[in-house]
Amino acid sequence: MVRVNFNRLRFLIIDDNGHMRRIMRSLLHGYGSREVYEAEDGAGGLEAFTHYGPDIVITDWVMPIFDGLELTQMIRQPGANANPFVPIIMLTGYSEKKRVVGARDAGITEFLAKPISATALYERILNLVANPRPFIKTKTFFGPDRRRNVNPNYVGPERRKGGKADVIRQQPLLDKVLG
Amino acid sequence: MARKDSTPSVATYADHEVITPPHELRKAVALVADVNDDPVARAEAALAQLSDEFAGWMHAECERLEAARQELKRAGFTEKTHDALFRAAHDIKGEAATFGYPAIGIVAHCLCRLLEHTPDVTHIPLALVEQHVDAIRAIAREHGRTDFAAVVDALTRRLREVTDEFLRAENTDRPEHLEAIFTPPLAPGTNGK
Repeated sequence: MVRVNFNRLRFLIIDDNGHMRRIMRSLLHGYGSREVYEAEDGAGGLEAFTHYGPDIVITDWVMPIFDGLELTQMIRQPGANANPFVPIIMLTGYSEKKRVVGARDAGITEFLAKPISATALYERILNLVANPRPFIKTKTFFGPDRRRNVNPNYVGPERRKGGKADVIRQQPLLDKVLG
Repeated sequence: MARKDSTPSVATYADHEVITPPHELRKAVALVADVNDDPVARAEAALAQLSDEFAGWMHAECERLEAARQELKRAGFTEKTHDALFRAAHDIKGEAATFGYPAIGIVAHCLCRLLEHTPDVTHIPLALVEQHVDAIRAIAREHGRTDFAAVVDALTRRLREVTDEFLRAENTDRPEHLEAIFTPPLAPGTNGK
């Protein structure tokens, strides 16, 4: 049976609320993770990101100094740090469409609305491990491919120019392992 | 701690690049022999161990909200007082259901909408803010009372109605914004998924 080995993953939790950090730490430890680091605002988060080199960042949106969206944009600056490709889960009290789209366009990898559940968080992490997405770089965007699926009902112009890159198919890692 | 240097593959097209970074999380894929080992169940158990603290945490969040309300009453709507009140309400919105107070999450969500979607916050009636804060505190205080459920239900519904009515009136000249305010949430996770 294929699972995520949490013992091999280093997490960074960034949330200004200490209660939420305790909850997140408990969940991650429950999954089996041992390396969990914390920061309580965007600035501290960026510093911790540089220092610890986490495999996965889980960040809140609303925070002092700079928020989770700004933090994501800083991490996604190509050349600005050691790993602009790090998977980022935005864990937030926001759930409106405008916010989800905004977070996606800033370069987050997964979006998860509070209240948190052990199942939902596990599914997001499993997706990061099992279904890695390529990154797209344009004049205005750098982040994980925003096209997760091919929509056969889409009607409209193709916005990406360049033939075969219009739809990027990525074989799930779990299929490779199982195959 | 330095990260290992690794080179992503890059394919360049007319107006974009497709970059495939090395899949560093591959190391975390494991074949597990014990099919009865459930990491989600372990995480839920870990969360349950914390649950003795939830009432105290809820109380602390209510006190933070109350402090923000008092500062708002003292100084009026400023960027600082608005921000403090919104952050307190927003945190409660995200945490309350986890702490076992889902009705408080609904009222906090309503207060967040009021604070976030009113174009000129000085138009927000202080009484409406106070009603939200008082409702949150009352629900926390009376938590566990089975005879209180109908009151809580009526209270949350009425607060929502009054807030919606106010937001409609304040956003009449912003129809696109109005649509966003009243569109149901899109985010994954809002149903525990």
